[in-house]
Amino acid sequence: MSFDPNKEDYQRLGLRFAASLDGQDPQNVARSFASFGRTFARDRDSLPQTDQDRAFHLVAVAATTIDYELPFADDVRAKQLIRKGHQLLDEALQLDPTNVDAQRMKAAADIPSFEGYYDFLLDGVDSAREKSFKAAGQAAEAEPHGERARLARELALRPYLRWLSTLASKAIICGHNRQALATCQKVFELDPQDQADARFTAAIAYAKLEDEQGLEGLRRFGRKQTGLRSHDGDDAWLQIARISIAYKRHDLSTAESQLRALLGSYPFAAEAIVSQRELPDGVFARLAVPAFSEDELILAISECTVLIQEGRDRAGRGALGSWLIQAAHRIDPAGASRGLEQDSADNPKGGLSR
Amino acid sequence: MNARDEFVLRLATKRGAKLRLSDSGYAELLLAVQEDPTKFMEDASDEAFLCIAQALRRYNESRSKDEFLDDADFMRERKRRLERMRQDCAQALELDPGCTDALLLEAIAQDSDLDALLDRLLEVEREASEKDGPLQAAGSGDAWDDVMVRPRLRVQATISRTCLDTGRFRMADAVGQSLIALSHSDHLGARHTCALALARLEDEEAFDALDAKFSRRGDCWLQLSRVILLFKLGRMAAARRALRGFRGLCEGGIYALLRPVMVDTYMPDRPQCDPYSFEEATVAIHEADPIIVDVPDLPQWVENQPDMREAAMSFAQRMGFDW
Repeated sequence: MSFDPNKEDYQRLGLRFAASLDGQDPQNVARSFASFGRTFARDRDSLPQTDQDRAFHLVAVAATTIDYELPFADDVRAKQLIRKGHQLLDEALQLDPTNVDAQRMKAAADIPSFEGYYDFLLDGVDSAREKSFKAAGQAAEAEPHGERARLARELALRPYLRWLSTLASKAIICGHNRQALATCQKVFELDPQDQADARFTAAIAYAKLEDEQGLEGLRRFGRKQTGLRSHDGDDAWLQIARISIAYKRHDLSTAESQLRALLGSYPFAAEAIVSQRELPDGVFARLAVPAFSEDELILAISECTVLIQEGRDRAGRGALGSWLIQAAHRIDPAGASRGLEQDSADNPKGGLSR
Repeated sequence: MNARDEFVLRLATKRGAKLRLSDSGYAELLLAVQEDPTKFMEDASDEAFLCIAQALRRYNESRSKDEFLDDADFMRERKRRLERMRQDCAQALELDPGCTDALLLEAIAQDSDLDALLDRLLEVEREASEKDGPLQAAGSGDAWDDVMVRPRLRVQATISRTCLDTGRFRMADAVGQSLIALSHSDHLGARHTCALALARLEDEEAFDALDAKFSRRGDCWLQLSRVILLFKLGRMAAARRALRGFRGLCEGGIYALLRPVMVDTYMPDRPQCDPYSFEEATVAIHEADPIIVDVPDLPQWVENQPDMREAAMSFAQRMGFDW
């Protein structure tokens, strides 16, 4: 599970709505709740909400605009979407200057360099922590007990989790792999269920550091988290990290059998492995896609670019990248050829399969 | 690789072993061999080595006009030169199929993709190991002192560098460290590859141990690797100090870092450079390229540090280089 902004918006208002019904008779509560979904969709403004909730809603719309619509837009539309995203984030910050998601997302657009954005996230991590825990404290006052209290705390802390997860993933892009692992560790401590899927990022960092033991430890940790995913089995990030480590050990037969397993666990995997598309990272969070879907593999490959494109290689695909292409052709020639066609097709933006 | 000196040394060593000479007798023999090595050639392996020495001389001479060629002419010339090297190696191997240097140079001159080169080099070492046993240090404790073993050490050094080039940093370090264990003098500079690999792996402890092993003598690779290591670890004040150290020790180092140039394939090992010279910096930065790309904003950070850009520009101006 990654963070779906619209679902989170729904959860926040649902919680607020439930609290507003406290003290009413149970039949009335049941009836009101039955209509909540429809009201949320059609007449959101009529629901009880705070400025923080309104700001989060704007963040959710901005996230949808930037992360889910922009990659599919033509140039004219893209400019409109970018402008719209900025406006939404500005409005969100006017309503709730402490909204750390909006702060983080705005900085992603405003700071052009990798290292600059990384420094921004690093410098702001304590402040993001403080704000989120303060919100969690306020939520605990309003909702002291039960399932609602748990959800309220979780929702309050998510912006901090996202901050940390983004920090970890940007650390890798900047080449700060040990810092990426230390940051992932913070995520795991705060959220042992790892809803943020920071372990995907950690897998890349372990592979970058060629730390096989660390990666196997992460694999054991990940196996405990499968309750959150649609079915068991290693995720694509972990699988690519293991392939990368076997390749780096020059154990090419193990690497090839692990690639075979990867191709068996995701649909249209050879295509994705051969075309190796690079997508812009989600600005709100890693894009929410179904577990073990083709899209998930495309996302994983894109994030693993830092592993795949490493090393000198004449074709410019990186040492592992070139090997993956050749090996995919050996294992699944038909799929790999289709990937090659996709790769050469006129598809400047790439993007997910949807 | 100074093939002529090594050729002389090989012949003198072989002859000396047969004659059981005293030290002064050996010194006289060495002078005689230097005078006219061909008189002391005994078998096909000597002929093969001579063939390789000549091939290397020819190869290096053919590079003298490279800087005057445009890209297309350079590529044509390079292709022709590699073709000639392969022919020369084939000739040497006809004389002596076990000539390790010929096998090494032939593998490099294939100009194939780097995974294929690595496979071939590992095969060359495996075959040599089956024939002559595992590599071990000579009686003196340094394998380099046995001139007959040097070709295999060159193969190891090339394996280590090829590992680095293909993103196999732990393996690059492991092969490099085993080479250092065999030959503490480290004529082939395996420590340079190790330094780069350990920086990339963000392994400060092992990096420091390597530096200590060579009495903290330092060189362009080590200075540059330290900058990269500290930058990666986010220790920016220390990284800045290391960068200032690099600038202070190596004139033109910052220019080389900010304006990297292409360095052609080593045939078979890295060119000899004076310590902390601009040439050494150029070579070190070329070798560091697979690691520098892992810290994409490092060059920008360097350029933004006080006086760094100015240092690079004034060096360029003094040398008449473009900026």
